[in-house]
Amino acid sequence: MSAMAHLDTAFFIGWLAAAVRLAGPVLLAALGEIYAERAGVLNIGLEGTILLGALSSYLVAVVSGSTLLGFVAGGVGGLMVGILLAALYLRAHASQIVVGIVFNILAAGLASWIYALAMGGNGTTTVPMFAAYPIPLLSSIPGVGPVLFTQPWPLYLTLMLVFVAHYVLFHTRFGLSLRAVGENPRAAHAAGLNVLKLRTWAVLFSCVGAGLAGGYLVSAQIGLFRDNIVSGQGFIALAIVIFGRWSPLKALLAAFIFGAADALQLSLQVFESSLPPQVLLALPYLLTILAMSGVVGRTIQPRALTQPYRKE
Amino acid sequence: MTKWLERRLSPAQSPTALALTSGGGILAAFIVSGLLFLPFGGNPLTAYGFLFSEAFGSSRGFGLSLVQATPLILIALATVVIWRAGLGYIGFEGCFLVGAAAASWIALSGTPQGLPWKLPVEVYWPVVLIVTFIAGALWAGWVGALRVRFGGNDVLISLMANYVAIFLVQYLVSGPMRAPGDLPQTPRLPHETWLPLVISGIKTHWGIAIAAIATLFTCWLMRSTPAGYEIALAGLNPKAARYGGVDVARRQMSAVYLGGGFAALAGLCAVLGVQHRLMDGLSGGVGFIGLVIALLARLNPLMVIPTAILYGGLEVGGSAMQRQTGLPTSVVLILQSLVVLLILAGDILRYYRLRLPVRKATPDTLVEKES
Repeated sequence: MSAMAHLDTAFFIGWLAAAVRLAGPVLLAALGEIYAERAGVLNIGLEGTILLGALSSYLVAVVSGSTLLGFVAGGVGGLMVGILLAALYLRAHASQIVVGIVFNILAAGLASWIYALAMGGNGTTTVPMFAAYPIPLLSSIPGVGPVLFTQPWPLYLTLMLVFVAHYVLFHTRFGLSLRAVGENPRAAHAAGLNVLKLRTWAVLFSCVGAGLAGGYLVSAQIGLFRDNIVSGQGFIALAIVIFGRWSPLKALLAAFIFGAADALQLSLQVFESSLPPQVLLALPYLLTILAMSGVVGRTIQPRALTQPYRKE
Repeated sequence: MTKWLERRLSPAQSPTALALTSGGGILAAFIVSGLLFLPFGGNPLTAYGFLFSEAFGSSRGFGLSLVQATPLILIALATVVIWRAGLGYIGFEGCFLVGAAAASWIALSGTPQGLPWKLPVEVYWPVVLIVTFIAGALWAGWVGALRVRFGGNDVLISLMANYVAIFLVQYLVSGPMRAPGDLPQTPRLPHETWLPLVISGIKTHWGIAIAAIATLFTCWLMRSTPAGYEIALAGLNPKAARYGGVDVARRQMSAVYLGGGFAALAGLCAVLGVQHRLMDGLSGGVGFIGLVIALLARLNPLMVIPTAILYGGLEVGGSAMQRQTGLPTSVVLILQSLVVLLILAGDILRYYRLRLPVRKATPDTLVEKES
């Protein structure tokens, strides 16, 4: 009896730890995307940005041997992508959806090309990863301690950024302007805000977040690069933004729920449960569709989402 | 940026400006992608020459290009119909997969993995085409209904629905439709259920005829029928259309059903014409490339065919090039997307005027000239 209970606790703690681990990178990408969407730009290019961020992070880590430099390089890669995407989204008056989709294809080709060029036939070299850093005292709390407070530090950074992002978005002038631009750009313009400039910032935030998420994947979770390393996590991040109702704090919860579903699926496969793992894999998407559908209490999206803005 | 880009008072809309920016974009895409061969020791001109001769230089190569183009044409047509109706649906990967699953299920009739009753040969083709079409129509339809009836965001919902379809197929091939063996895939479809080859010796199968008929139907629908007119009207201005007596919701839904059916037929062509079994990872981004083709064709159904054959040929030539010369096939992916992005980027020049910094003549230089 007690052995059984012990197993259950072990299973539970392992499950929670995996959920937190899986939630990290997508949450980081989602935080940036919240800013873009709040300002009215739907950045579907998130997937490709994470991929290029992961690639730059990996290459810099291989060359420099430094995990930290690699992680930062993810953000720098994201920033460069952001400059390109901001020009296309905002200056070329192109459909955000079209640009995002096409950019994802471009990023897939580009990542594979750069990787082939840089690594040649050398096969895969793994790069050193961040070790889990137990926070003193907190990590010794029984139960949650080992789960929440013994993680690689990019996770702590992400958790901190959640609160920073929330504060900036809802309690500063900049955040208010950003939201105004995403709700009604014309009115925002009339009130003296520079719509294009604010939206550019939002796209850059989104791309840096996604790039860092790529760096997070490489430097804290996988330690190498493959073409399919991102495999839909950009779209999961988009789902988190919606399910989290465009709010950083709720996105934290959403990321954890989605991570938990994913982690449960992994453990159930070990136990050969009769529940097909695909049900749990599809759950985040189904929940997001339900939240968006308007059948049961619609989540209200920023009103000017995907609408290009032209100065009169 | 603002220093050397000056906003035009009104965007340049003349046909010359349009042609120049589009042509310039395409040319730039080919040049930039060509440069990507250089670090791998390939000459861009030889590489392109090889690529195009592999894709279009022989009847065998052209046949393969048509095979690649077939699903792309169908998905591009689906995009044309649905986007013309004013929706932003992008869930063609999902429709493709659902169609592939439905076609495989019918093709496997009489086996434990397929339809329980064995279909007689005479009714097989009508049944498989109709069931696949309906499956795709319903798959696109529920997303369309969420948008049209409940006002949900169809772009994001269809994007999420793609993943639901991916996991659905993953479940089918690892569960109810799985063949005995190690790999998660269905058994090989019986030979008589395959799409037959048009000419023996060349890989082109009769799916190209499905695509051709679909194209003609779309042209006829959009140009010569009241229904097509009302679909376009609903897309251009739903309010005006409603005021003019068009049932916008109904027209948008019929466009979604038609598009979903087309995209599902693309899945049918892939399983019955090429793969001959259903497996995980079947779509490989074809839904998005098809969408890109529709955009390049500027949502004109007739322009879809040459564009799709070009893109299909690039894929055929690209993989032959990687096999034989070792140059990376990723350049093709880059080229395919860069064409669109650079045409879009070219549009910046229609909205902004380029102001190159001109050095003003100073008194000093004038004096120098005089002396």
